Amino acid sequence: MPRRLILLLLLLLSLPAKGEPSLVVVVRQDSHIGSLNRSQVIGYFLGGARHAGECEALDQLADADVFYEKLTGRTRAQIKAYWARLLFTGRTRPPRTLDGRQQLLDELLNDPQTIGYLRAERLDRRLRVVFELPP
Amino acid sequence: MILPLSLIAQEGDSRFSINGFGTLGLTRSSSDDAAFVRDLTQPKGSRGQWSGKVDSLLGVQGNWQLNDRFALTAQALSRYHGDGDFSPELAWAFARFDPTSFASLRLGRLGTDFYLYADSRQVGYTYLPVRPSADFFGVLPFTHIDGGDLQLSLPLGDAIVTGRLHAGLLDEKLPLADRLWDISGSRMFGGSVSLQRGAWTVRLSSSEIRFKGDLPIDELSSGLRQAAAFFPQAAQAARAIELDGTRSRFNSLGVVYEDGPWLAQLMFSRVRHTTRAFQNWHSGYLLAGYRLGDVMPFAGYSWIRSTARRLSPGIPDGVAPQFDALNAGLATVLRDGHADQGTISLGARWDFAENLDLKFQLDLIRGSATSIFPFREETADWNGRTRVISVVLDFIF
Repeated sequence: MPRRLILLLLLLLSLPAKGEPSLVVVVRQDSHIGSLNRSQVIGYFLGGARHAGECEALDQLADADVFYEKLTGRTRAQIKAYWARLLFTGRTRPPRTLDGRQQLLDELLNDPQTIGYLRAERLDRRLRVVFELPP
Repeated sequence: MILPLSLIAQEGDSRFSINGFGTLGLTRSSSDDAAFVRDLTQPKGSRGQWSGKVDSLLGVQGNWQLNDRFALTAQALSRYHGDGDFSPELAWAFARFDPTSFASLRLGRLGTDFYLYADSRQVGYTYLPVRPSADFFGVLPFTHIDGGDLQLSLPLGDAIVTGRLHAGLLDEKLPLADRLWDISGSRMFGGSVSLQRGAWTVRLSSSEIRFKGDLPIDELSSGLRQAAAFFPQAAQAARAIELDGTRSRFNSLGVVYEDGPWLAQLMFSRVRHTTRAFQNWHSGYLLAGYRLGDVMPFAGYSWIRSTARRLSPGIPDGVAPQFDALNAGLATVLRDGHADQGTISLGARWDFAENLDLKFQLDLIRGSATSIFPFREETADWNGRTRVISVVLDFIF
């Protein structure tokens, strides 16, 4: 195969797929949470940091599958299995799940102690991005 | 108005919820000469026929989160166990207090935490194979303690270190041959340290049980004591198979790797008993799976091997029928605790719908004819080999 063709293919593969918007982890502008790295985000949404009493991570159905797949490489079913293990051994509960993006937006704006994820295009001046998941 | 099964009433910080889990399973072991059971709480199992009892179960849990620090939890479980029915039991019932975000204290009835994942072994949806390895978990019939546990969890660089301590009383009746062995009042205590970093989890655990009461083999023990009038060594044999006041220690190491599509688990355990009615054993398993979309095929190998005990009552054969019966009875007790087998497992889990999975598994058990500890209802023809096919549907709500 000509080298130029291979280069072209590589270039195409490295381009972001269409219709896959990037997801951002957001808080209200005045939240005390600063920029986060990936393991801190995992800590908030899947780990002990979630019930630190000072901050509540929120799930929303519309983007949950993509969010967890990109954050951890695991499917939503695997994430649910993880929470089921903690729930049925009496440890802790999964994040509160909101039905959609609008409900999440309302909740985030209502409570500076919450942290959630949205598509970048849904961003709002009242929110601040603390972590970005590339598409 | 239709109420959803999982209802969450919110009132300030307090939340009440009802959730559940279950498995509908069909299991068939090919051998007619020993009944395959999921664990030793089951009096019967599959013996050459399809059985819906081995893996089917249903659990319902109520959880009341009073505020950030206090929660109450109770879980009822119905599974085939004890004297042979699905009578529901209270599996968990405790109050939890989290004084800080990294400490948790619980008091009440708790699932036993022998090994990594031992406390979630009834919740099929949480693991990859059809059932937790029968060679590894199946020989632990103790399901809960009435007591408490304390968990401390601290970040250490990129890792999270978790320490746990538990202590309490066992309260169960376990099937043993055609009888029930009452272990209530036996004490259990132990702890574990685990390290979680990135894709890796490593856990070291150690627990001890101090038994109260003896095995339901009174006539053998009293027979041996009476025979000691003629054969003094028989008194030592009677003492050696006593259980009351003896200790059993369960040590284990578990390593889990979970990254993207990969899952691998490796576990070892070593179990020591001071009573000579049980045999010391070591066991373990290796399990690996790779996810392809919603289907995760897996393969595993597990094993359990015990060390036979020598114990002679010093009664020569043929003196009198009642003495021969004592020799035979003691030999049966010593033989019953023997395990020497390995299992190759192949299967797949398919997450075909929200909160549901379907699993298929083939277990090839290859052991010696003397390996009867993990089974029920063995016949003289048992050769230590069987093939178990299982299909299960797991759900959570």
